Parts: sequence; C-alpha cells; structure tokens
Amino acid sequence: MIITYPHMGEAYIAIKAVLDDIGVESIVPAYTTKATMQLGSKLSPESICLPFKIMLGNYINAIKSGADTIIITGSCGPCRFGYYGPIQKQILEDAGYKDVEFIILDSPGEDFKKFISSIARITGGRFIAPIRALRAGYKVCCEIDKMNELVYYIRPRAINKSQVKAITHSFRSNIVNVKGSAQITELIRDTVNKLKAIELDTSFEPLKIGIIGEIYTIIEPFSNLETEEKLGELGIEVHRSMTVKDWADNTIVRPVTGRKPYTKEKRLSKPYLPALIGGHAQQCIAHAIQYAKHGYDGLVQIYPMTCMPEIVSRSILPQIEKDYNIPILSLIVDEQTGEAGYVTRLEAFVDYISGGREQAKAAIN
Amino acid sequence: MPVRVGIPRGMYFYKYYPFAKTFLEELGAEVVPSPETTKEILDSGVKFCIDDACLPVKVYHGHAYKLRDNTDFILVPRLTSVSQKEYICPKFGGLPEMVKYSVPDLPPLIDTEVNLHRSQKDLKKALFKLGSALKIKNPLRLNNAYNKALAEHHSFKSKVFEGNTPNQLINGAAAKNKIEGNHTIGVIGHPYLIYDSFVNMKLFKKLEDWGIRFVTPEMVDPHIINERCNELSKRMFWSSGKSLIGGALYMMDNSNIDGLLLMTAFGCGIDSLAVEYIESIARKTYSKPFIILSLDEHTGDAGYNTRLEAFKSLLDWRLTDDNNISSYGRSVHSY
Ligand code: SF4
Ligand code: SF4
Repeated sequence: MIITYPHMGEAYIAIKAVLDDIGVESIVPAYTTKATMQLGSKLSPESICLPFKIMLGNYINAIKSGADTIIITGSCGPCRFGYYGPIQKQILEDAGYKDVEFIILDSPGEDFKKFISSIARITGGRFIAPIRALRAGYKVCCEIDKMNELVYYIRPRAINKSQVKAITHSFRSNIVNVKGSAQITELIRDTVNKLKAIELDTSFEPLKIGIIGEIYTIIEPFSNLETEEKLGELGIEVHRSMTVKDWADNTIVRPVTGRKPYTKEKRLSKPYLPALIGGHAQQCIAHAIQYAKHGYDGLVQIYPMTCMPEIVSRSILPQIEKDYNIPILSLIVDEQTGEAGYVTRLEAFVDYISGGREQAKAAIN
Repeated sequence: MPVRVGIPRGMYFYKYYPFAKTFLEELGAEVVPSPETTKEILDSGVKFCIDDACLPVKVYHGHAYKLRDNTDFILVPRLTSVSQKEYICPKFGGLPEMVKYSVPDLPPLIDTEVNLHRSQKDLKKALFKLGSALKIKNPLRLNNAYNKALAEHHSFKSKVFEGNTPNQLINGAAAKNKIEGNHTIGVIGHPYLIYDSFVNMKLFKKLEDWGIRFVTPEMVDPHIINERCNELSKRMFWSSGKSLIGGALYMMDNSNIDGLLLMTAFGCGIDSLAVEYIESIARKTYSKPFIILSLDEHTGDAGYNTRLEAFKSLLDWRLTDDNNISSYGRSVHSY
C-alpha cells in the first residue's frame, strides 16, 4: 500500500510527517501546476468547485508515480466537500484507474466502526504509534505557522525581495526529500534561520491585509495565484485567517478533548450570520471582524466560483465594510482565472487602500 | 387591521406556500404572496443580488423587493434542514442574510430557522418561534394553527402526488395534468425551476401544447426516492439532491416514461453533483431521449426552444421507430 492525499497548502508537510513516523509508505503528489489543474478539470463535472478539480489532478499525478491508496477527509454536509470522495472515486474508476483504493475519513459520529477500520487500514492496525505521530504532526503544523508568520513579516520589509523567494522555494523543493517529523522540523528551523538573516528595512511600515474566505483557496497558494507572495512583494504585510494548524485544532484536537470547535468565530459572526450554513462562512465573517478590530487596512476574500457558503458571506461583507470601515476585495477563482487581470485587481486594491491611509494621515495633520 | 406578511414567490414557495399561508392566517395575519415572476422581478433581483449567485436566489431577491411596500413583514425563513439528517443547500441556510444585506427598503424579515436535522419534532418549536415573531404566544392557538397547517400541507402534497402541479394548485387554475397525448416524460429539477413558468419559459405550457404528459419528482412516492438513493455509495445528505437523483433513477427504469428532461440552474452547487451523477448513469444505461437545460438570467428563448423541439422530435421518432436505437445524443444535450 502506497498512500497519497490531495494538496492543500502546507498540509502535505504535516501529513507526510505523520505517515513517515508511523512507518507507512506514502507519496506527496507533485506540486500543483496548471497542467495538474487541466488534468483534473478535464475529468470533473464542469460546474463543480475548483478544489475538486485540482485534487483530482493531484491524485492522477500521484497514481502515475506509484500511489495506490488515496486518503481524504469527508463530511456529511452541508457542503459539497462531503461528496467529493465518492464522486472522485467514481470518476477515477471510469477513467481507468480501477485499482485505486479510497479511504474517506468521515467524522467518527457518522459511522464509528467505519472510522476505526479506516484508521486501522492506514496504520496497519496499530493505534499507539499513530497517536504519537499525530502529536508530532501537530507540532509540525505549529512550526509551519511560525515560519509563515515570519515570512509575512519579512516579505514587505526585505531590502532584496528575491532572497525571500529563493529561500521559500528551496524549502519547497527540499521538504519532499526529508523523512519524518524530526527531520522536517529541522528543515523548517533551518529555513527560519535563513529567513531571519535577510536584511530588512525596519523603518518601513507596511499596510496590512487579511486574507479571508474559503479554506482551500486561501490555504493552497496555487489556487489563489500566490496571492500572499504577490501582496508581500507589493509591500504588504499579509495575514491568512486559516491555516492547517487551525484546521487540525478545530477538526481534531477540540472534538477529541471535548471542546466545541470555532467558538470564538461563532461568537463574533453571530450578529451577522447566526447559524451554521456549511463551509466556513461564519469563520469568514468572524475573521473579517477580527482583522478590522486589529487595525488591518484591508481584506481580500478569496473563494472558488459557485462556492455556496462564500456567496452567502460575500453578501454580508459589504455590511462589515460599512460597520467597521474596512475595504474588502472579493476575488473569485476558477480554472479560467487569468493571471494578468487578477494582478491588476490586487494592485488596484493596494493603491486604493494606500490612498486611504495617505488621506487619513493628511486629515490628522 | 391584521398584520400583512409577505411571502416571496421563490425558492421553496411551491413546496411550502399552502403550509405557511394556513399557519399565518390561523394566527390572524393577512398573507400577501408576491405575484408570479415577471421580467421586472427578475431584473430587480439581478440588480440587488450579488452577481455570482444562482438564478433562483436572484429571482427570490426580486420577489422580496416586490413586497417592500405593501407588507408589514416578509417571511424569509432560514431553511437549514427540512428532514432528518439532511440539508437543502447552504444558500437556503443563509437566505435571510443574503436578502437582508442586499435588498433595500424592506420591512422587517421573519427569519425563523427551521432545522429538522436532529429531529422532525423540531418543526413545532420553530413554528412557535415564528408565532412569537408575530407576538402570538398562546400555545393552544399555535398548536391549532400548526395542526391545520400540517393538514393543509398533506392535502396539497397528495394533490401534487396525483399529478397536479403545485403552480396550477397555488396559482388558481386547478386543471389536472390530464393531457391527451402519446408521450409521458420525466421533468427533473428544483421546484423553483420547474414550477416557475417565467423562469423556465413556459415549459409546462409548451409540453401541454405538444400533448406531452409529465411526471416530476414531487409526483414520485418519497419512499421510492429514498430507496433509489440508497444505491449511492455515500448517503446523500441534501434533500434537494435526493429528490432529483431518486426521482431520475426511478423514472429511468419506468417503462411508461419515454424520456427525461433535466433542468438545472447555472452555477448550482447541488446540481453540479446531482445532475452530473444522473447524467453519468444516463450515459451508461439510458437509451431514451434525455436532455439537460441549463437556466440563467441570460438564457434566451430561441436556443432554448430549439433544443426543446429537438427533444420532442426524438420522442416522436422513437414512437414511430421501434428499433430503439440509442437516441441519447450530445446534440440536444449541450448546455
Ligand atoms: S465550501 Fe465552497 S469550495 Fe468548499 S465544497 Fe463548499 S462550495 Fe465547494
Ligand atoms: S440548490 Fe442550487 S439553485 Fe438552489 S439555492 Fe442552492 S445553489 Fe441555488
């Protein structure tokens, strides 16, 4: 059994750490490219949301490199993600990838026996080693978050921005060659040290933009045309509202320790969206409010075309824009999103909020 | 003067209007439905709603706007779930917010949540809450209204089950779907597509004129729908998707049904999976005429009619030609 899984930002680093530690053989799918997306889109329902298509492309790439088992998480509504697994499986079968096994980890509440047997299937029946590995994987997530926060700080301030790019890109190519949580952590720390050595203009006060929206498209840099990097290079300090660690916190750690997930987000979003509707709509609203309260200068909402929960949050965001006086740009991505138009919109938005700051300064003086 | 409660003629109007009307009237309210969809309603919906929403949600915005002047409240319930362990679609859950933050000049909304995901019994609780939004708290009165509304709902459902379309029943002309003709087809789609004759460009009228009888998912025994959905490898957790898939699977196997017409809203999240699934089954096993019509605010009469006519000629052709060569073709089927 050689396991693979779809990409979602840095998730692969943590998953790889866990599987390596347990001693299960796995393949990280090749990094997502345009070709991956086209490969997936060709086989996907035309109007399905973008993550579905990209993931399908990831699977096929991994299968071609030898993977025979795909693991993904599932859910039982309210959104489409819960149905990704079964439909993708069907599509792969119809496309001739017949011997691929799908292990879908639905929440234990839906079917506890199935959940346990799926875990056993992955770990070869062992349960102690996996728990230790999961803890180590979680720590890896924490390290990644720290590294990202550092990158967010450094990018706009670096005197030579290409240094940041060189370091982050070499991290991406090296990470697939190291094994297990210990080596992975070492590489992350190494990278952090290199980043810290970059020369900065600390007197520069960058504008701050928070990135909110649908979880996959904000976490997976390919799907959002590397928005974080682009904004950083435009001299913006970005912050992303959801990370793999947050996801793990709310989907695994909190339920396992008997706490409710996303309590803060629910509280913050309540005046605007008092019910759970699916996806991360409440989170999107809550994060918008949170960034506004922390003095951010603008927000970028990113979501896939036809994403149902984010269409609802987008309807609410103009009210938050007014109530908290914070500009918000909504960007919708699909496989046809063109780089040029996208960048133009980002640049125009940056201009717009810098204008706002200049005006505010002028008013104060 | 009684309070006037507006009910937009969109989304699940053609499913729950008789229920809501009875309940509200029993509580002493005057119920004001918005008129049938018109170009003006669609246009104002398109204007106010965010541009990447699906057509039905836009149409609904237009209906809400239409009710702004002549009502004291507008009923825009949050239909999170209408049956146990199932949802409808995230946009139903967020509908009150979409309307509230997009449509100007509205009276207060009654946005009571109906969430039967845990238990069917939660319906009563939801309705009691709805009552208190109208300042009616007397449990006897509420209970009575609830029972009457349920009875009305069941009688409405059974009339639909017998072959009357909800739009005929609600809009007045209670003629039965007893067209004299040679063919019967299945019409699959969300209620707000197939029963809104403006949105679907008078589909039923056209079928009637051609002498084509039709069956919709609401005319199929819900037990059969449930059973057919068990064939899926994963439990279908959208009731909306369930009736499409279960209905279609049943109709495909039914020898009295001569073809299948699927209607989908461009950009609909549920359809992107449900209709896709039906299509993949049809492609493999269904040899009768099959057509998918995708609707959005730009769908033009001409192209639509051409495809419908092509579908009709396939039906006619099959009737005169018993060889039953597969007539499933991309030609009538392109979007
Ligand atoms: S949240 Fe959006 S992207 Fe995710 S499954 Fe739902 S519709 Fe698709
Ligand atoms: S089910 Fe489809 S058409 Fe209906 S509201 Fe949801 S996305 Fe729109």
